[in-house]
Amino acid sequence: MYHALLTRRYLTSKVMPLLASLAVVLCTAMVLITWSVMGGFLNNLTQAGRTLIGDVRIALPNVGFAHYDDLIAKLEADPEVEAAAPIIEAMGMLTLLENRTEPILIRGIEGESFARVTGYADTLWWKPLDEPVKKDRQGDDLRLEETDRTLLQRIYEDGLTLTEIDPITGQPEPAIVLGMEVGGWNKRTDWGGYYPRVQYVAASDGGSELRNIFMPGSGELVVLVVPLDSQGRPLDPVTRKFPVANEFESGLYDIDKQTVLMELRALQRMLRMHAAKRLVEPGGSGVGGSSPDPLAGFFEEDTEGVSEPEVVEDPARVTSVLVRMADPDGDLEAFREKCHAIYAEFTRDHAGEVPDAMMIGIETWEDANRMMISAVKKETGLVLMIFSFISFTAVFLVFAIFWAMISEKTKDIGILRALGASRLGVAWVWLRYGLAIGVVGSICGGLLAWAIVTNINEIHQGIAHTGEWLGSTLTDKPWNWYIWDPKVYVFKEIPHKIEPWKAVFVLTGGLLSCVVGALWPAVRAARMHPVKALRFE
Amino acid sequence: MSTPHETTRPPEPTTTGVTKHGSENCATGGTPLLRVQGLHKTYRLGRVDVPVLHGVDLDLGSGEWVAILGASGSGKSTLLHLIGGLDRPDKPANGNPRASIRFRGNDVVGFSHAALNRYRCLDVGFVFQFYHLLPELSVSDNVLLGTMIRHGRFGYMAKRTDLRARAQKLLEAFGLGHRLRHRPSQLSGGERQRVAIARALMNDPDLLLADEPTGNLDRKTGNSILDVLAEIRAERGQTMLMVTHDPEIAARADRIVHLVDGRVVDGGG
Repeated sequence: MYHALLTRRYLTSKVMPLLASLAVVLCTAMVLITWSVMGGFLNNLTQAGRTLIGDVRIALPNVGFAHYDDLIAKLEADPEVEAAAPIIEAMGMLTLLENRTEPILIRGIEGESFARVTGYADTLWWKPLDEPVKKDRQGDDLRLEETDRTLLQRIYEDGLTLTEIDPITGQPEPAIVLGMEVGGWNKRTDWGGYYPRVQYVAASDGGSELRNIFMPGSGELVVLVVPLDSQGRPLDPVTRKFPVANEFESGLYDIDKQTVLMELRALQRMLRMHAAKRLVEPGGSGVGGSSPDPLAGFFEEDTEGVSEPEVVEDPARVTSVLVRMADPDGDLEAFREKCHAIYAEFTRDHAGEVPDAMMIGIETWEDANRMMISAVKKETGLVLMIFSFISFTAVFLVFAIFWAMISEKTKDIGILRALGASRLGVAWVWLRYGLAIGVVGSICGGLLAWAIVTNINEIHQGIAHTGEWLGSTLTDKPWNWYIWDPKVYVFKEIPHKIEPWKAVFVLTGGLLSCVVGALWPAVRAARMHPVKALRFE
Repeated sequence: MSTPHETTRPPEPTTTGVTKHGSENCATGGTPLLRVQGLHKTYRLGRVDVPVLHGVDLDLGSGEWVAILGASGSGKSTLLHLIGGLDRPDKPANGNPRASIRFRGNDVVGFSHAALNRYRCLDVGFVFQFYHLLPELSVSDNVLLGTMIRHGRFGYMAKRTDLRARAQKLLEAFGLGHRLRHRPSQLSGGERQRVAIARALMNDPDLLLADEPTGNLDRKTGNSILDVLAEIRAERGQTMLMVTHDPEIAARADRIVHLVDGRVVDGGG
């Protein structure tokens, strides 16, 4: 009982334990805020990576595999599967306005199925908005323009279908959707939005002209791809000009900078992965060679005039099928296994026509992004380690304060011993005291971290505005105190996510730090000789 | 974390035939409440051994008030600490016999740490020259501190009402009924010493050890404290061992033991 009484009295009547508590508060809050922000950053990055992949990807790069419609039908028949979509991923070149050519990743997609599997529709940038985004307090977003609603709606729908109406024929023609950072034609704003740039571009007469670069308006770009034969050998390059239907922002700079989305069938034709007929000479081998190359006798649908060899139908191919789980929080690994089983069943139905289940790559979105995720995880771990190390000073601080307090309270220890308190009892007074400081410090630190993390963007905004005001007042030039500048970072707001287990871990760490810090002084108090303690001056 | 001390006491002495509240002068015979024999104590100051007690023998009868009178440095406080179980006497060496402190026939010197804690908690009560009250606690809590140690958390909680009432009664008896919630710093020296005496009496010990109880007080206040002690003895038949260097104060006791240079020269029993 006297332990509780003394702990309470010491805690409320001294300044030093309050300082120790404050140190624990700050250390706990610092670690928790860091972890929450870095965790939020990692979460945003991975979710952004998931946005354009779905949950599981069944892939055979380059050559691809056929009968994917059948595979998709089998997948979507399973109640655990929400949707599946075929895509092709291939490297290519994009000729920019200034006649520059850049390497890009081209993804051939079906807009409708791709949108069901991924967050594609949400990533399309140009669409009419009813309300400004959170940080656009001035309402500067071009997408808010009432007069442009019809145009933006059409651009949005073009983006969904990856087609654009040909002004001459009036028929939809395949189009491409660019990553927001491709070509550098968009300027990022203070609030994390985009304006199309106005810049000089190469003119047809060899000179240059000033042009408003709004690519979905009337932009056309040339795409070059190199088709491969069934054994991965390159064929002649294929180029084609496409109108730009829209632009997308995935949240990952690398993807937004290097990816172009194209209508699936257009890309299949360019890569010669579309459904086609092939001539096979009697005897089994294709025309033009003795190797069992499925593309060796490739030709366009024009088969007139050829009559002697046998005509074989080669089905269309894709390099991947993306699959989305019905339960977003379900077991990803179990879902991958499920997809594997469905694919194995699919191979039995198409024996010899599709790659074996052992050859195909079936990976989760986490596996697909593991390089990026592990890099950020390592970075998070490193930062946490550094901050935890700094926070470890709390142990020494508690130790120093307790050491000083025990010196100050030596007589109290002597009195307790004279009244019959045991060594263990005296030690427990100080350990309990450390525990109390730890509990108070950790809980207050947790609350402080929670308050800061949940309002981190408002706090950040407040600091930035203070800088602007101070700078304008003192030097006639606003000071830029933006730490997380939306112009620079892909995420417009500082990401954050407090996870309960992390909070429990950090708070327990804060608590243990105090107990560890109090341990040695407590032992010292316990071992104090009662007479020396009573005579201590 | 600490084990509460047993609330039952060792059996009463077997041979005196004297009630607890009756006074028995050990100088006149009978089995004493406390018998000290061959007590040696040496302190080490740096590399030098400083002998303080040289074979002290002392008997203390039940209900007796004995004053140990000696000059500063004569070993009075050391003797009190040894009797109170705050320190241990020297081990037998250089021809010195094994020291013995027998309280109710039990050898305190041979007590384990736990038994010694129990002894300090239940059997003896200390009153110090400088009061030694805990400054963060109220008067009431200071008085109750010993009972908290004695009964442990649950025992104390169960008896809290009774114990508080007892503390209040004791403090009221010492004229401090209006000071229950005050801190020691808000009290005068005399009041602090009365609180210390109340604390020492809370567990109803058989032996009260007072180390210069008036040494830090003016004559008038000191006399009032001695009056309090005399009153306790009269009412409760409390056995008291008081250390002082002042013959006038020592004269208030039943018996005076003279301690000179760590030796009892007169009145040891």
